[in-house]
Amino acid sequence: MARVLIIEDDALTAQEIQEALRDDGHQVELAPDGRSGLLRAVGEEFDVIVLDRMMPGGLDGLAVLATLRTAGIATPVLILSALSAVDERVRGLRAGGDDYLSKPFDFIELTARLDALLRRRDGPAAVTGFQLGRLEMDLLTHTVRLAGQPVDLQPREFRLLEYFFRNAGQVLTRTMVFEAVWEYRSDERSNVIDVHISRLRKKIDPDGTAPLIHTLRGSGYVFREA
Amino acid sequence: MSSVKRKAPWRLARLSELRRTAGFRMALLFMCLYGVIAVLLFAFLYIQISGYAVARIDEWLPRGRNAMLRGDMAQLRTRVDEHLKIDPENERPYALFDRTGRRLAGTFTGPMPFPVHDGRPYTVEVIGEGRGEGRVAGKPRTLRAGAWLMPDGQVLVVSQDMAEIEAFDALLLKALATAAAIALLMGLAGAVLIGRRAVARLDAITDAIQAIVSGDLSQRLPTGRGGSAGDDLDRLVTVVNGMLNDIERLMHEVKGACDNIAHDLRTPLARLLAGLERAQRRANSAADYQEAVEAAIAETLGLLTIFNAMLRISEVEDGARRAGFTDIDLAAITDDAVEFYAPSADEKRITLAYAHDTAAVPMRGDASLLFEAVGNLIDNAIKFTPEGGRITVALNVRHGAIRLDVHDSGPGIDPLERESVFLRFHRSEGSRHLPGNGLGLSLVAAVAKLHGLQAAVFDSQQGCHIVLRTAAPKPAA
Repeated sequence: MARVLIIEDDALTAQEIQEALRDDGHQVELAPDGRSGLLRAVGEEFDVIVLDRMMPGGLDGLAVLATLRTAGIATPVLILSALSAVDERVRGLRAGGDDYLSKPFDFIELTARLDALLRRRDGPAAVTGFQLGRLEMDLLTHTVRLAGQPVDLQPREFRLLEYFFRNAGQVLTRTMVFEAVWEYRSDERSNVIDVHISRLRKKIDPDGTAPLIHTLRGSGYVFREA
Repeated sequence: MSSVKRKAPWRLARLSELRRTAGFRMALLFMCLYGVIAVLLFAFLYIQISGYAVARIDEWLPRGRNAMLRGDMAQLRTRVDEHLKIDPENERPYALFDRTGRRLAGTFTGPMPFPVHDGRPYTVEVIGEGRGEGRVAGKPRTLRAGAWLMPDGQVLVVSQDMAEIEAFDALLLKALATAAAIALLMGLAGAVLIGRRAVARLDAITDAIQAIVSGDLSQRLPTGRGGSAGDDLDRLVTVVNGMLNDIERLMHEVKGACDNIAHDLRTPLARLLAGLERAQRRANSAADYQEAVEAAIAETLGLLTIFNAMLRISEVEDGARRAGFTDIDLAAITDDAVEFYAPSADEKRITLAYAHDTAAVPMRGDASLLFEAVGNLIDNAIKFTPEGGRITVALNVRHGAIRLDVHDSGPGIDPLERESVFLRFHRSEGSRHLPGNGLGLSLVAAVAKLHGLQAAVFDSQQGCHIVLRTAAPKPAA
């Protein structure tokens, strides 16, 4: 469970986000404007902050963010914005934002990204390999074995699998997969990602075994045993 | 519309408003400048010419004296008296005075100068004796004279009448004044003419603009008689007309897009509404509601996709994204896009071939947008190519010009549709049954334009052949 602060001027959006995050078991606090949001973010301890980019009144999202970072508060911040322009995104990330999501968005996208931010807080583990069920991945020799038998993967499939391993048990949206593995910023390209994942699946989830890559309804994947 | 016919309220028709026009003012300014120059020139001419005539007389005076002194000095008085015989008009009156100033001989009626400056010419007004044709006694005349002291104390005066010079001066002044007056009038007339022409052109332009403002977008601003290669106003008009062409094209595009949006958004909205209403009316179990909600979510996601695509295109067309440009390699991006779509092509047993002759194609750009544009082209090709077909992607650089070809073995694009495939929401008749929103190729065109590339459908014997290439520099207008 994590403590999440939502700074969002639109009450309905804030409430929807609150409910979605509560469903995921988080403790959620709301701030209706930049000033009160900033005060709470400085005065209390939060694990992650959801910050609306554009808010009426004196303090907009970027100003809140800049003030927070100047005050030395390093809480991860996910910026929500109706502005999708890439320079807006760059500005948001430059001002100290950790992720950027443009409105409108799927809630699964928001919760999955928040989870990723919360995990990132713990830092990436320095590992040389992974193992899940009968599947093993060795990062040093660059090999993958399924029940001891080597699996032949294309370079991109290897990166895809590594990403799944590193985020095992977490919800990953198609967009997150695309951005992490192909390293381009994405739009919906869901069906093509699906094709890549189904090819990977054929290699690591042969018929008759319990699958490791699970498809979630609403454009997400989870990599886990059973 | 009635407002088009109505005379423009700001129409510059009255002459009194002429002075406000730039052309008239400029002409007037030039006229003033010209006037000052003319006055200076005329003054110089006048001084030079009249001075020249006087100088000619001054030059002659000592020669006249020398002629008198030639011969016996005792006969001087007789020669002065006899001078009238060779000058019956008395143009050049002579006189000989004795040392008391009494005139001994000659027709020079002025007083003896005192003191006598040997030979220095001077001007003197005298009362005439009426000698000579057309002269009236008692009428003053102006003479240019020189006086010399003789050895015996007598004074010899030699003079010339200046009436002719005065007449010439008067004539010269009159001529110069007339010329100045004519120049002034002509200049004024020219200024009025230029001003009126400017007013007429502005009127025509104003009328055209009013017509455009009232909705007639097909109107264009009139150029001068010189055609497009005319004066500065013409250049401005040409630029504005170019802008109007763009605006008109955009308006048509927006209208077309609106029609298509109406169709492409209304259909899913209607389905969404129908599904929800049906659930409200008939659903009586949790499962029914569940199904209705799922259907509604699916429709809404489809709508969101369309909206996002539209927003992205406007954003790309805005050009503001150039701020986010970095150094990128188009070859690597194309590589990635081909690799990304290879499995999809595989599934339809389509051969996706990629040929490029250069290792790297460095340029400034937005990698994600270019990936998406190239991806859209390949995606489009996969969509339209039948099973077992072939798609060729080629990237070349020749003389610094980039060229990316995507050629498929599908049914191709009707020549009549080749221009419109890049328009928003355009969907060819043959593709209406396929999934898609008609925005893919317009995004390609927008991204290409943002990167100084041009998207075009290539003439092809078979299949669809789309080319992105470095846009030819605009010909200088």
